[in-house]
Amino acid sequence: MAEPAKLQLLTRKPGETGFQLHEIHSSQAHLGYRPRRIADEFWAITAQPQSAGGGRAYVLKNLQSDRYLLLDSKEFYLWSLFDGSHSLEEVSRSFHHQFGAFDYAMIRLLLAKLYQAGLLVERGNLGLQQSLVRSQTKFWAMGFSSAAKYWRRIAFTLPNADRFCSTIYRYGGYLLFHPVTLGLTLALALLAGIDAWRLSPQTKQFAQLLAATPWFSGALMMAALLAVSMMHVAVHALACKSYSRRVREIGFFLLQGVLPTFYADVTDIFMSTRKARVIVDLAGPLVELFWGSVAFLLAYHSPPGVGQAFLFGIGVVLWEGALINLYPFSFLELDGYNIVADLLGMPTLRQQALALAPQLPRRLLHPCSLTKAEWIQIAYLLLCSVSVLIYLIAHLDFIRSLLPSWQ
Amino acid sequence: MSPLIDILSRVVLFQDLDASALATLAPLLIAKKFAAGTVIFRELDDSDALYIVEKGTIVVSKHVSGDVDMVLTRFAPGDFFGEMGLFDNAPRSATANVETDSLLWRLDRSVFHDIFSHHPEMAAKICYRLVTIFIERLRVTNEQTRDAIRWGLEATGYVSGNQSLFGRKST
Repeated sequence: MAEPAKLQLLTRKPGETGFQLHEIHSSQAHLGYRPRRIADEFWAITAQPQSAGGGRAYVLKNLQSDRYLLLDSKEFYLWSLFDGSHSLEEVSRSFHHQFGAFDYAMIRLLLAKLYQAGLLVERGNLGLQQSLVRSQTKFWAMGFSSAAKYWRRIAFTLPNADRFCSTIYRYGGYLLFHPVTLGLTLALALLAGIDAWRLSPQTKQFAQLLAATPWFSGALMMAALLAVSMMHVAVHALACKSYSRRVREIGFFLLQGVLPTFYADVTDIFMSTRKARVIVDLAGPLVELFWGSVAFLLAYHSPPGVGQAFLFGIGVVLWEGALINLYPFSFLELDGYNIVADLLGMPTLRQQALALAPQLPRRLLHPCSLTKAEWIQIAYLLLCSVSVLIYLIAHLDFIRSLLPSWQ
Repeated sequence: MSPLIDILSRVVLFQDLDASALATLAPLLIAKKFAAGTVIFRELDDSDALYIVEKGTIVVSKHVSGDVDMVLTRFAPGDFFGEMGLFDNAPRSATANVETDSLLWRLDRSVFHDIFSHHPEMAAKICYRLVTIFIERLRVTNEQTRDAIRWGLEATGYVSGNQSLFGRKST
């Protein structure tokens, strides 16, 4: 962070000649400020289960703007003091007394987050400096940023997603979350697995049939994947509704800024239990499991030909999709990752791990200084790196098999 | 070269004048001594002269509220201030405070007008230099405005950049 701005003031005492000069840093002035949170009826906070690292997180929700913040225990302590009666100087003293150390930058960042989420009483629009910074950005950076902006424009959201989901849930969607539905899906998957096993000797023939009409097969596969992907997201949203939580958005975006995908914003499920979150996470991949099973069963009972090959191919792709979705260590925040993060009680595991990565060479020189939570983040990084490496090696092998000159 | 002409030759305002022009100008200036802590002129005083600093430092401030002024700038030997008073009848826009014992040279507006009448070429050179100095000081003022805004933003807890909000998008 840059040096704090300074203001120089000149004062005179009444009846005396001469003057005094005072240099006041912005942070020094800030200490007198008494942050005040919005009225109690406009926010809610839920304690999350204790994490594997030993800490506890809290999800703070602005009930008016439907925005959420994840607070750690220190930030939660600060939040409890932002009642308008404590100055930042008093808050920092109290914080020091409670935790034995104090970092002023932490208060500033927390205040910024709270303002952005509309959880503190507003003090006007603070967007100016950002625009000044933007105006000083280098040409190439601006070019890159505008390209990324156009790429992001492909994102869209469904208006009134919560109302839409509530209606679907009320008119039959709730049946998806009956234990019988789960039992039937698993039974179907078992039968489909047996049929897929019986068809597996014909895999090479199916591949050849599909390869004969690559564009047609490709287009059909893409259409099927797209439809199932939309259903997957809809089921996540309906699962969220089954716990009477709000679906903030449904839409299409670039996962981690790269991978185009549908999504349902189910952040409100953090106001519920850990079990609810895991069920919402699991509900999505069950859609791939169900439709993949249907495809395998239909393939088994279809006459030999392109139709059978196509159904078998769809079954393979959907089951594989379910597996990829449930695999937690890919650096992507897919359903499996969410389940692991929820079970560990570390909802921002990926972000924390990525933030730790650049410091790792230095930190590993003193392994005793690493906390339990940081060891978990290191394990996550390691598993993700190994998984990506294996994936790449497996695919290099596949590409090599396609090119006869490499043999 | 007399000591005063030597001093004037180092003042940016007169850097386009040759030795004879400086010799013409020197007798028109009046020496003024000020003790530390005194005030040369106050904000809203009548404005009628420019000051050149030979010795000492001057703090220029603007009243904010009560007994508090905001420091705008400082002037050291070789600098000059109060130039608006040469052209403008409006009251002083800021207060000039003497920080350390100072020796200043005062150029009255009436004298400056005489230079216009009797030495137009010299006046033109001074005016040209004044315009460039006005521009430079305007730039400095813009920077000061930006710093003041930055100070206000930071003092109210502003942190640049968007802070990420928490959320889960199930895909």
